[in-house]
Amino acid sequence: MLPLAESALLLVAALGALYFQVSLPGKLVTEKDYREAAEALANEGKEGDVVLLYPWWTERARLFVPKAIPVVGYLGSDGDPLSAYARIWVLAQPRLPRSDLSGFERRFVPGRAPLGPPRPFGNLRLSLYRNGLHRPIAFSAVSEYASARVYLEQAGGARVDCPFDGKAHRCPGNETLHVAPEWHEMLYQPRFCLWMHPPGGSRRLVAEFPQARWGERLTLAAGIVGELAFHHEPELTPARVVVEQMASGQRLLEVTIPPGREGIVQDTRPAAGAGRDTVGLRLWVQSENPALRETCVELFSDRAATP
Amino acid sequence: MSTGEPKSFDPPAPRDSLIAALLFVASMAALFATQASVGFVRDESMYFVAAESYARWFEQLLHAPAEALTDNAIVRAFDINHEHPALMKMLFGLSHLVFHDRLGVLPHAAAFRLPAFAVASLIPATIYLFGRSMYGGKAALWAAISFLLVPRQFFNAHLACFDVPIAAFWLLTAYTFLRAQREPRFWLWCGLWFGAALATKHNGWFLPFVLAPFALGRGWLLSRGDSEARAWLSRFVGLYAAVGVFFAVLWIAEGPGRFVQGFTPLSPASALLALLLVGTIAILRRLRRASPSVFRSVAPIGAMAILGPAIFYLHWPYLWHHPIERAAWYFDFHATHVHYAWFYLGKLLREPPFPLDYVVVKTALTVPVTIFLPMALGLAAVAARAAASLWRKWRPLLPSFEEAFVAANAVTPILIISHPNVPHFGGVKHWFPAMTFLAILGGACVWRAAHALLLALRPHWPALSEWGVALPMFMLLFVPPAIATARNHPYGTSYYSELAGGVPGAAILGMQRQFWSNNVTGVLGWLNEHAPPNARIWLHEVTGLAFQEYQANGMLRRDLQSAAGPWDAQIAVYQYHQEFREHEMNIWQAFGTRTPMTGLYLDETPQVIVYQRE
Repeated sequence: MLPLAESALLLVAALGALYFQVSLPGKLVTEKDYREAAEALANEGKEGDVVLLYPWWTERARLFVPKAIPVVGYLGSDGDPLSAYARIWVLAQPRLPRSDLSGFERRFVPGRAPLGPPRPFGNLRLSLYRNGLHRPIAFSAVSEYASARVYLEQAGGARVDCPFDGKAHRCPGNETLHVAPEWHEMLYQPRFCLWMHPPGGSRRLVAEFPQARWGERLTLAAGIVGELAFHHEPELTPARVVVEQMASGQRLLEVTIPPGREGIVQDTRPAAGAGRDTVGLRLWVQSENPALRETCVELFSDRAATP
Repeated sequence: MSTGEPKSFDPPAPRDSLIAALLFVASMAALFATQASVGFVRDESMYFVAAESYARWFEQLLHAPAEALTDNAIVRAFDINHEHPALMKMLFGLSHLVFHDRLGVLPHAAAFRLPAFAVASLIPATIYLFGRSMYGGKAALWAAISFLLVPRQFFNAHLACFDVPIAAFWLLTAYTFLRAQREPRFWLWCGLWFGAALATKHNGWFLPFVLAPFALGRGWLLSRGDSEARAWLSRFVGLYAAVGVFFAVLWIAEGPGRFVQGFTPLSPASALLALLLVGTIAILRRLRRASPSVFRSVAPIGAMAILGPAIFYLHWPYLWHHPIERAAWYFDFHATHVHYAWFYLGKLLREPPFPLDYVVVKTALTVPVTIFLPMALGLAAVAARAAASLWRKWRPLLPSFEEAFVAANAVTPILIISHPNVPHFGGVKHWFPAMTFLAILGGACVWRAAHALLLALRPHWPALSEWGVALPMFMLLFVPPAIATARNHPYGTSYYSELAGGVPGAAILGMQRQFWSNNVTGVLGWLNEHAPPNARIWLHEVTGLAFQEYQANGMLRRDLQSAAGPWDAQIAVYQYHQEFREHEMNIWQAFGTRTPMTGLYLDETPQVIVYQRE
């Protein structure tokens, strides 16, 4: 009896496997599907839009999506608030094996509102949402890095300027000691952030933004780049990233990134200077042992979107 | 009529040898016909260079033997890639020397890979002979064919690497071990194949731990009632136990460093080795006279103990002048191997302890379900019968000696790699030795099921033959993996089974998408067509040696130059690994674009992505 059951099991498995192999090509997206979806995006996309991929790794879409619209897809991007964007185009492949679009929507939809029904393009599905989590940016250190004053500060307060060469503020002597916005990975997420490598010892790498516009809240986000973040050898030391008010020296925000901490470490506070248009901000980074402390920093002030 | 139940372990008839030979030839033909598109994996590019170096030493040995035998000449030739023994690399090098350099009948890479095809082709042939001896021809045929229908195994069988060869030599050692239990002279073959295993990869050193309990257990049972044979068997065990204890004492007393340094020709350690050699020969001679059957049970172990290390030493000139010091380095290298990052179920594994379930889950997700299921059922059947036989009324279900032996060989490589501190990178290749034995158990399961179906159908169709049931069943089980292999080739490290949901399902599960860099072949055509003349190309993860191989084999334009990184390149070819995301960001940064030009997308999953500087 058991061998007959085995026989039935094998036959069922074989038929299932055969169905899987034969049907798989029909569940994939053709180049024509992508081109048609891209055409819709080109015609209807607006500034402030973003394309979010589901599943997150379906990055073949990058070949086709108009360059003006950023494409977001990384491990964990389903839960990204995408607060910099007013509208989100979800480009999904619901027919892929193990695809779970309804599960994705349970995570994604809260705080968002659909702006029309989903549109199929072959096995692609394109849906537009208004992003209720959108928060316009009032000030961004990344955007305004060129106007910053950058210098190395010794323990005694002595300063060495890092002059701006049109692309980056470069400190003398060491190529890694520069400040410029760059693409880096933090826990698989692409971030466009300010590269600020700590100089080592008690020295600080400082960037001053004398005319930062206040929004409703101020956020500092920093992390160690790529795989370096995972390292936790005993000789490594935490990286400290601090924001102070230039005029008063008051500490506004601070994050500490210990060895082994992956991803972004963030600190947020309400903008204390409400009523004023601008404030001078001083951002600095320091780590006793600079080895493997490749730090990337975002400092921004945002506000709620007007309906 | 065979039933899929175990039978006595018979030697092959001439017809079986002919079928085995046909399987060998068919496997060679299949591998040769599909090799040209297989990219050069990172390790292989290094082995090609090592193989050429070793072959040059053989030429020197012919022309200037005295000079070739000096340590200087040996180190010059064999220092490269002395992390692994030399046997397969010597074969790769000699094949290249003969078939490419001298005769000019084979392309560059194919000439290196030819011995790998030959050794890989021994597997289906040996599985057939092995399986037929236990479960009959039909079970054996299914098992033999199934091995190369696992896409990752098919891919690896093409490579001038060691993972498939060690599986072949492990299988041959085990097969000749079993034949040695009943036939003369096979103990010698067992020792020789064990030597080939040691000369191929360090996995071979685990073989005695699987084989010895079976040899000693069988010897103990066979010597029941024969006091003389039992006494000599006890001396055999005692000799090895005593030498083992003395070595342990020396190791502990002197510490690893002094132990290695003190291992000179007149040292206590050398005396112990000599005692082992002389003692083994003397005891086995006496045992042969006392009881030929008990002799046959343990003689393979004696042959392995003597011939294995001897072949390991003799085949590898690098050890000739400094055997202990260099062998110690070799063992230490593998005992303290670095851990590479590896993506598994949505998490990057970077350091121990690794998940205990890794090997079983990875196997389930990478072996086609119509092959994996029979393997699992076959192994489960042996385990269930062993458990049931603990009860008196089910004692007859006790697995045979051969079945238990096959099951032990199927499980041991998996258990070794499953240890949470053993490096877990490299996909499934590190436990290939288990897959040959699982194939045999799978064949037993399939034929057992087919036979049951036959018995159920015979009352309705009396003329139904065994092949009338077996052939459709085999076809039904083999068509899905054949489709998968055809669709997946030559991107073997990317394959995932139906259970995973194929390649896209595995990407959703968060599994490692590829490794070893060979998938770059998917975009070489685009590079040849679109790269500007003399363009600097960064092939991420592809070694400089592999870059040269692609050019030498006509797969990449010769005017293109290898760049060291995106900052240095006009075109960057990124290999998607979860731990390498920062590399892609570096390309975005250096090239000023996030939009690729093209890529290799297997069933939508990004594998290799090409960017061009704006």
